Amino acid sequence: MSMLEVRNLTKRFGGLVAVNSLTFDVEQGDILGLIGPNGSGKTTTFNMLSGAYKPTEGTITYNGERLDGLKANKICKKGLTRTFQVVQPFPDLTAVENVMIGAFSQTGRGGEARERAMAVLKRVGMEKDALKLGKELTLLQLKRLEIAKALATEPKLLLLDEVAAGLTSTEIDDVLELINQLHSEGITFIVIEHVLKVIVNLSHRIIVIDFGKEISRGTPDEVMNDPAVHAAYLGEEATIA
Amino acid sequence: MSTAKRYMPYIGPLILGVVLCLLPPILDERWKLIFLLVFIWAFLAMGWNILGGYCGQHSLGHGLYMGIGAYLTAYFFQSFGLTPWLGMIIAMAASAFTGWFIGWVVFRYQLKGAYFALVTIAIAEMAVYIVSNISALGGAAGIQEDIKYGIAWLQSPNKAVYFYAGIGLVVGGLLLTQYLSKQRFFYYLQAVRENEDAAEALGVDTVKEKIKASVWSAVWCALGGVFYVQYFMYVGPRSVFGETISVQILLFAIIGGLSTVWGPFVGALILVPITEITRSELGTVFQGASLLIYGAAMVLAMLFMPYGILGLAKRLQERYRNKRSSNNLAPRGAQPEGGEAS
Repeated sequence: MSMLEVRNLTKRFGGLVAVNSLTFDVEQGDILGLIGPNGSGKTTTFNMLSGAYKPTEGTITYNGERLDGLKANKICKKGLTRTFQVVQPFPDLTAVENVMIGAFSQTGRGGEARERAMAVLKRVGMEKDALKLGKELTLLQLKRLEIAKALATEPKLLLLDEVAAGLTSTEIDDVLELINQLHSEGITFIVIEHVLKVIVNLSHRIIVIDFGKEISRGTPDEVMNDPAVHAAYLGEEATIA
Repeated sequence: MSTAKRYMPYIGPLILGVVLCLLPPILDERWKLIFLLVFIWAFLAMGWNILGGYCGQHSLGHGLYMGIGAYLTAYFFQSFGLTPWLGMIIAMAASAFTGWFIGWVVFRYQLKGAYFALVTIAIAEMAVYIVSNISALGGAAGIQEDIKYGIAWLQSPNKAVYFYAGIGLVVGGLLLTQYLSKQRFFYYLQAVRENEDAAEALGVDTVKEKIKASVWSAVWCALGGVFYVQYFMYVGPRSVFGETISVQILLFAIIGGLSTVWGPFVGALILVPITEITRSELGTVFQGASLLIYGAAMVLAMLFMPYGILGLAKRLQERYRNKRSSNNLAPRGAQPEGGEAS
């Protein structure tokens, strides 16, 4: 049994089919890349996996349990957490309080939640920013905070939605290192990314979607040499680093 | 160190209590009344602050819960001779149910912001007309309580008793808010206020937390209503359910400092005396002067202190702390502030 089994996952908004019958498995320890041009349905897929949207059709099974139709907070408690493409901090809370919200899914005690949150901030290299308010942080810090909040829920499967977008090349290296380290600590990932450097370096396997439909899958090499992928991106492969 | 730190915030309210207890001998009757009003409003504003401040759901109809507290206590006392001790429990339970029901309806259907505010105004306004038409509740004239002195009847000929009881409410309210502010519940409420989608994604059942906040807030304000009616011995539809009451409740919290422990008290402490004095000094010359002052205070507060008086103080303190920690190699935040809540 795979950790996550997605079958015929479909989301329709009125007449628009945002995600069209996606089927894939994620094994424990995987880093699965999900790529595709803008508007291809990647984030909608995440929204369904994490419970923000209800799938129109299809099933999501996580460790043998059906997740489709459950609310986001229930799914999070089962160990499946996501980050947001557009960072979603709690602006008027300090960084450590932001992370405490995640930590409270593991403990009801304020003091313990704070300790856990501090430990997580340390893992992502933000301990010295712990007392800054969410709205005072830079984009790089917010991206790290986004990961830290999710980590504090102690996920087994973490969905990362474009954590590298908007970062400089060195900042991207830092984030890559962080994800690799978390992976070595046992977290399974599904990663949406536009920055091909990230996806190619991280992913064990990649699924490419366009207009909500899978158009290719395989190892990074296989996918990058697939003419169908080239066609979908219309020359965007020039950015492969 | 950590134990001392944990109990530190509870010392403030206790000191305040002692200071307030020393006041009666030096206050004249007029100032005693003003302080009593400060206590009532501060307590109500603290209750509003749970839902409106920490949870960010700006109710404009909290007079409803105050009214439920006042009316039911008075009703059971007048009509059945029931002691206000029991009336209070019934009233708080009824208010809890009302808060739960309203929360369940509006939050389940994701009513937010202006729409939520409108619904709360409408419900409180409906209460005015409903209660005005129920003769058992005294109709538009309201309920006048009979005199029945004694601790069993929560009445006393000695106004000082109410003064000390008011202190008890305020200090108790501050202590409870301080305690709750370190609990998961209040952290969750703030997460809901700041970003519901993010909160949901981190395991917060946002609908449940909002309903919980609504219930806490309702019970709290009902208790304020019980105190109100036992002091004034009278309750009428407009004097509790009226929109000026609901607006005043949130005004004290907003101007004092939303989602702060002390904000509602500070707001009431500053605004109530100003209103009462202008009302008595200018009332005959310039009717409504106190309302003008409210308006002006509101505008000024929003312009210069969007986070209220205490918010401003807190921000200045944080700025200072950040500066200090960035100058300092061992930042304050790096030391775990262990075991604040238990």
